[in-house]
Amino acid sequence: MENGTHLGSAWQDSPEVPSLIKHISSNDVAGFDDMTSLTKDQCQTSESESHSPSNDGDETEPIYHRQRVHSVSISMPQSPVAVHLQNTRRVLFSSDTIFEDGIPDASVVSGAACGEPPKHHSQPIRTAAAYNEAIGGGQFSYHQSIRRLKDKRYDSFKTWSGRLERQITLLRGKSPPESKTEDEKVPNREVEKNLPVHRYFDALEGPELDTLKASEEMVLPDDKTWPFLLRYPISSFGICLGVSSQSIMWKALATSAPAKFLHISLRVNLVLWCISIALIATVASIYLLKMVIYFEAVRREYYHPIRINFFFAPWISLLFLALGLPPSVANNLPPALWYVLMTPIFCLELKIYGQWMSGGQRRLSKVANPSNHLSVVGNFVGALLGASMGLKEGPIFFFSVGLAHYMVLFVTLYQRLPTNETLPKELHPVFFLFVAAPSVASMAWAKIQGTFDYGSRIAYFIALFLYFSLAVRLNFFRGFKFSLAWWAYTFPMTGAAIATIRYSNEVRNVITQAMSVILSAAATLTVTGLLITTILHAFVLRDLFPNDMAIAVSDQKPIPQKKWFHLRHGSSDSKDIEQYLKFAGSDGKDLEASLKHQNY
Amino acid sequence: MDDQNQSQPQIEITIDAPNDTEQPHREPLIIIRRSSSLILTKFHGGHFRISLSLCSQALLWKTLGDPIDDAHAFRRVLSILPSNAFLFLWSLAFFTLVSQSTLYILRCFFRFEMVKNEFFHHVGVNYLFAPWISWLLLLQSSRLIAPTTIYYQVFWCASVLPIVVLDVKIYGQWFTKGPWLLSTMANPASQLSVIGNFVGAWAAAQMGWRECALFLFSLGMTHYLVLFVTLYQRLSGSSSLPVMLRPVFFLFIATPSIASLAWESIAGNFDVSSKMLFFLSLFLFMSLVCRPALFKRSMRKFNVAWWAYPFPLTVLALAATKYAQEVRGARAHALMLLLSAVSVLASLALIIVTVITSNNIFSQSPKSTLLKIPNPPA
Repeated sequence: MENGTHLGSAWQDSPEVPSLIKHISSNDVAGFDDMTSLTKDQCQTSESESHSPSNDGDETEPIYHRQRVHSVSISMPQSPVAVHLQNTRRVLFSSDTIFEDGIPDASVVSGAACGEPPKHHSQPIRTAAAYNEAIGGGQFSYHQSIRRLKDKRYDSFKTWSGRLERQITLLRGKSPPESKTEDEKVPNREVEKNLPVHRYFDALEGPELDTLKASEEMVLPDDKTWPFLLRYPISSFGICLGVSSQSIMWKALATSAPAKFLHISLRVNLVLWCISIALIATVASIYLLKMVIYFEAVRREYYHPIRINFFFAPWISLLFLALGLPPSVANNLPPALWYVLMTPIFCLELKIYGQWMSGGQRRLSKVANPSNHLSVVGNFVGALLGASMGLKEGPIFFFSVGLAHYMVLFVTLYQRLPTNETLPKELHPVFFLFVAAPSVASMAWAKIQGTFDYGSRIAYFIALFLYFSLAVRLNFFRGFKFSLAWWAYTFPMTGAAIATIRYSNEVRNVITQAMSVILSAAATLTVTGLLITTILHAFVLRDLFPNDMAIAVSDQKPIPQKKWFHLRHGSSDSKDIEQYLKFAGSDGKDLEASLKHQNY
Repeated sequence: MDDQNQSQPQIEITIDAPNDTEQPHREPLIIIRRSSSLILTKFHGGHFRISLSLCSQALLWKTLGDPIDDAHAFRRVLSILPSNAFLFLWSLAFFTLVSQSTLYILRCFFRFEMVKNEFFHHVGVNYLFAPWISWLLLLQSSRLIAPTTIYYQVFWCASVLPIVVLDVKIYGQWFTKGPWLLSTMANPASQLSVIGNFVGAWAAAQMGWRECALFLFSLGMTHYLVLFVTLYQRLSGSSSLPVMLRPVFFLFIATPSIASLAWESIAGNFDVSSKMLFFLSLFLFMSLVCRPALFKRSMRKFNVAWWAYPFPLTVLALAATKYAQEVRGARAHALMLLLSAVSVLASLALIIVTVITSNNIFSQSPKSTLLKIPNPPA
């Protein structure tokens, strides 16, 4: 007997229901699959209004006629046994079903107009209880598949979910398991193209937009620990940023004249540099693996308004490596290397700044957040490296692009527009990124011009001011959950220290020397503290890589569950259904609106 | 014309053809009167894009054709271009600008209401700068009038004065007045006001009037900073510009290029600031070229907004020319040649397309004429 919470309530009331259900249940699994294969052949643009009851007595129900399947089918709301997270099995009622009176129309809302790009329907998995219940119900006989259910839940994120395994099994000489039901052939083409940015804002909260709101649901199960690769965020490249900038700092301390009194050997730089190389190699290979196996997860990180900026981090780390090159390893780098390193940054920039300028849903006033500094800093670091290599025009190019966009970003962040949903309300270590751009810009300009002239000094003093205004508010940086992204926030401190060292080269007196020592010490202390915390979390607390909720956002607002339980009572039926339909209708509009802007 | 005003609630007025009860020998007069009234009604500020593009093309040809000492090999290639071609182009630009200016003056007399509506429209008001910019560019590109003569100076004053007056009005509105605040009115076409200042500064510097040039340059630069940030923020989303006007996004390229050229004539050589502005313009060009989807919908049917493409490309090519002159590398000259070729091709293509569809622009049967008059903002 179908659980009333899973199917429409109207069915409870209609005397026809039992006969229908009997009718349906008499269809075997194969017949059910035929339906699904049929619907699959048609353009499957069904939205996951699987939450929707397909039929009710409401005449005002908006009907989107897509294609009528002249066969009996069930509208399937989310079923916990949905092995197929990817497709909502949108099965249509045709008008010639059993329902005559009471429920006149049985054509079903099946999504927006045909021709829209197929949307990804991830059926959120309900609680384990319902899941077990439904399995026990034995209504759906996916015998073999259920056993592999646990693997299937991550299939939506796998790059070649199922197919690769099948091929490998074939290659190994074993026969592929029989009755591979439809659900296993994940139609990758169905996977969504764009998760609209407002979904991230609606579903996530927190200064790094990584905690799921209580009312939201996840695509992936929240009760289990996910595979390691799924939990590995792009912000891990922040560690590379932090450590490689440290190597530059120690190199500057060892080689610059005002710091000679500290008698720091170049060994420190060499050691740190080698550690950075190892770190970058490790992190990069793990992330590459993640990209190969779980491409969907990488894509969702790319569309996350904060994580997108961390895609610059690997390239900036490589630039730092080149900047921090120990003199004992090599003295000169070939200029071609600079072009190679700057190309990915350039391409990413074209994409992101273009979105700022023309994007409907990803425009700057909506998505501006302090992590955007990472996308601007890359320009200045590249200019610095190019100028130190002796190039002339390229560094100026990137400097000017970075300067223009930094100005825009700076103004936008300072405005703290009310439309901006990503700015953390309280102070958070991410604010240290404010210090990064001016300090690196001052060093880059000094290298381009040859001397630490007025332009560089202006930029340097701005950086210093921002640094101090954050440092005196250190008290307010408490009480935040540690995350790997914090490593990325240490490199501005290091950058400010390096800029101070360069400044003290130019203006040599006790104060500047003292400042360079103090700032370097502060940077080193922060990095050490962070290292200890990281080790603590990794080995003692073992929660360095928690479930990455930011990528598991579902693409639809969930229907509040309560409605289902109340729908047993007939009187409140129509009201609830009306309310639901209004909700669904507006969702549809939102999605359409966001889809319209998809091309921007 | 329709496209410009689509974003506002519109009143559609259908003009029905009056029954022709007049005597046969009066028919030609009636037809002329009808078609001229049609022309005056359908002509609007956006049509000045055509003269803007042609005048800037003439300037590009003049710059490329001017002999310079110690020219790079690539540059000498251009000297094989016939000078008659420049003359022809200049005359075409002159003729177009004169006819369009006359048309607009007539429109001011006979259709003043429509001109007023244009003034109140957030996109249309910026095209009031376009005629003056075109005149200044034409002046600079003329080989007959040297910058030191009195005619040049008089002409300059006559062109720059309206620009300054419009500046005072519009920039003042940006931060003081009601529905004309920058945050609500900003759209890519607003950069035309900034371009006007830079062109005035450029022409002034060539005359030797350095202080005037600096004044106009700083005025333009300040407002450019504000406008650039506002436009990038996209506070009002994508609704500030109707889809048909997407080619106007190319103005993002034009402004830094003109600024770099203006600064170059003020400072005397293409120094770091000019280079930085040129590079910014180059980056924006590449950024827009990589987003063809942005322009797809506006490219379905020809409309006068397509003329928004050549002017920024030409100005970018001009800046590239000065850059190549300064840097003297093979790559810089190759870039200059490439950009010039792109701009020439774009202008040529647009001229051809316009000529082909010109019978559709100005001659429609009166019955099917729909005039869309925007409501002034409340």
